[in-house]
Amino acid sequence: MAEKELTQRTAWDKVLANLRKRSLWMLHYCTGCGAVELPPTMTSRFDMERFGIMPMVTPRQADILLITGYLSVKTLKRVILIYEQMVAPKYVVGFGSCTINGGMYWNSYTTIKALDRYLPVEMYLAGCMPRPEAIISGFNSLIDKIGKGEANSWKDYYENYEFYKKNQDHVFGDIETHHDVPADGRYFGILEAKR
Amino acid sequence: MNAQTQAPTTSRPPAATGAPRMTEALVSAITAETGIATFRTKSPRRIEGTVQADALHSFAAALRSRVGFEHLSAISCVDWIAEGEFELVYHFWSYRDSHLVSARVRIPREPGSMATITDLWLPASFFERDIHEFYGVVFQGNTDLERYILSDWKGPPPMRKDFSSRDFAHEHFTFKDYEPTWDELIDGGYHGQKRQGEGSDE
Amino acid sequence: MSSIITANDGRDIMPGANAPENREYNMFIGPNHPGIEGNFALKLVVEGDTIVRAKTEAGFLHRGFEKLMEERLFIQNIAIVARICVPDPDPNEENYARAIETIANIEVPRRAQFIRVLVLELSRIGSHLFTFGGHAGTIGLYTLPNWSISDRDRVLELFEELTGGRVYHIYNMPGGVRRDLPSGFKQRVLDVMSYIEERLPEYDDIFFNNKILLNRAQGIGVLPKDKALEWGATGPDLRGAGFAHDVRKDDPYEVYGELEFEVPTGEASDAYSRLMVRRREIEQSISIVRQVLDKMPEGPVWNKQPNPLKWRVPAGDAYVRTESSKGEYAYYMVSDGGIRPYRVHVRGASVTHGVHILEHMLTGARIEDASQIMFSMDACPPEVDR
Repeated sequence: MAEKELTQRTAWDKVLANLRKRSLWMLHYCTGCGAVELPPTMTSRFDMERFGIMPMVTPRQADILLITGYLSVKTLKRVILIYEQMVAPKYVVGFGSCTINGGMYWNSYTTIKALDRYLPVEMYLAGCMPRPEAIISGFNSLIDKIGKGEANSWKDYYENYEFYKKNQDHVFGDIETHHDVPADGRYFGILEAKR
Repeated sequence: MNAQTQAPTTSRPPAATGAPRMTEALVSAITAETGIATFRTKSPRRIEGTVQADALHSFAAALRSRVGFEHLSAISCVDWIAEGEFELVYHFWSYRDSHLVSARVRIPREPGSMATITDLWLPASFFERDIHEFYGVVFQGNTDLERYILSDWKGPPPMRKDFSSRDFAHEHFTFKDYEPTWDELIDGGYHGQKRQGEGSDE
Repeated sequence: MSSIITANDGRDIMPGANAPENREYNMFIGPNHPGIEGNFALKLVVEGDTIVRAKTEAGFLHRGFEKLMEERLFIQNIAIVARICVPDPDPNEENYARAIETIANIEVPRRAQFIRVLVLELSRIGSHLFTFGGHAGTIGLYTLPNWSISDRDRVLELFEELTGGRVYHIYNMPGGVRRDLPSGFKQRVLDVMSYIEERLPEYDDIFFNNKILLNRAQGIGVLPKDKALEWGATGPDLRGAGFAHDVRKDDPYEVYGELEFEVPTGEASDAYSRLMVRRREIEQSISIVRQVLDKMPEGPVWNKQPNPLKWRVPAGDAYVRTESSKGEYAYYMVSDGGIRPYRVHVRGASVTHGVHILEHMLTGARIEDASQIMFSMDACPPEVDR
């Protein structure tokens, strides 16, 4: 694929982005304590479905991976597995202060301190924990970003896989997941475009 | 057996039979039935005492069957590193008398080893496995000491006093540029302590 | 040398399963699964639809609270203890404050004791409403979560007005509570209580008397009384088996000894029985809240403590128990006279329900009931992991 096609948005890209932004499915994975504010957001009071956002049980159909709070090393391993199973385009949303700088677990021996060292983060929602209004406002800006074609952080995982892999290895020891990430990157036309 | 067809059975008589005893009566009952005389009233509804490590199992059995402390509330472990000892504190609750007995046991830190009480209380299996994971105490006779919460942990038992969570975090995780320094107001903070430690080494 | 990450970290947790001559196969539920209460995993060996063996896997939410507390000041820990149990955080604050008060002999003003009971009971109502939503979700009744969770939001709004936080309140300080009730707050609490009381019959219509629930929950997850006592069940799970033990009655703290309330029990020992115990506990909690607001005396709400940065708690230890919405919640605190706690052991209410009782109860159950049984035990994974 030529470089021009990737950098310039065609009319078809714009149509696609507009369709995509109105049906975002969020992986139903309560990774941390922020998940307790999601049921109020999903159910009738705040009703996330107004914006086309729905919880989804399987990673393969999900678009958003919401990291709700601190991530212990044990969970991070599962989250990376899940992230690689998700089909691009996919958006990681760091939810709560713990994903940004460790939050109040800055000296904990089990939780990671910066999510964007291990996964490409599209957007952070600050707060401990963000209120349902903040979640909805955050999702709205994500929708805008997708509509404008600016939500491209998922490509970074393929382009800079060595960086993420190195940090993942630093935490787990040398690991290997079931997924062939570079092959995925070639499939989505990202790695060739770089060469 | 299928749980759906299993009828509720109540083979054991309910625990709360007879009139509850007063604290003094309970303390003397514990002394009389278990033969251990260190127990005393600590505060209302709280009785505490010390038991030798090898006597704990028979003490707990007698406490359960003859004094009526049916519920194992928790087993806590305290690392007294200066004395080179672990202190295990067994908390038993009596449904009948509404009192808590805390039995303290001191065991040497190296090697930390203790007899299990899982044969008396099933809930002990969780607490013993927990203490094994977090302090490295081996419970003789407990068949299920597999890693549970820390199943992919490679470091030393983290609750030991000689393990510093903050040092470990600095070693193993990458931080954002932000580094908290406000705690230098209190006791020199992490970096202040580090600098002092480095200075004394030289 | 590289190793492959597998769902069980490469450990063969159930030897023999998946062998060709074996009719049993492994099945993993969680940690990313909506039928799981939080970040928790079940590993099942199933034959057909029946669960032959079950193992739980916890630790995904482990933050090392007990270690963190040893490395922080007494005052700093007030902010983190609430995070140990997410849906029902206040028993943590209560336990932490009361452990320090017991060790240091700090007196709590009477008004503060009433306010603490108020907060604890509101938290219990919120937590039970949350559990109803989760339980209904596991059997496909999706209307109730929409009702009960948005009704819970009314309780959270009361908390927000009182403490500034919806979920985590950081409100109980050793020596009292952080601030007094805002003006007009009592009336707003009473309004919410009346609202929830009116809603309960509607819940009955849509959920508790629903044929689907009756068919699915009755006779499922039976925990007989003798087993409940033997396996160390506490709280609504023990009361659902017909054993009336409640820490609020039998080991009264704050002003529970002066309040009148019943301890609801169930007969059938099954999932439905435990669910109904929770439903009736909401009625009792509403009654307690009304009594508290009625009897609350005027006066100070906090005995001022010394400079928090140099605050030393005298050497000693205390074991404090609280009845949380999940069961017996206890802290064992040891102080060596320093500015940091020497040791805090958190005995979550779910360490028995969520680990070995669940493993025993799932054995023999059917796969589709696994989530429901877990929710009927109301096991809260962050309490197990700490």
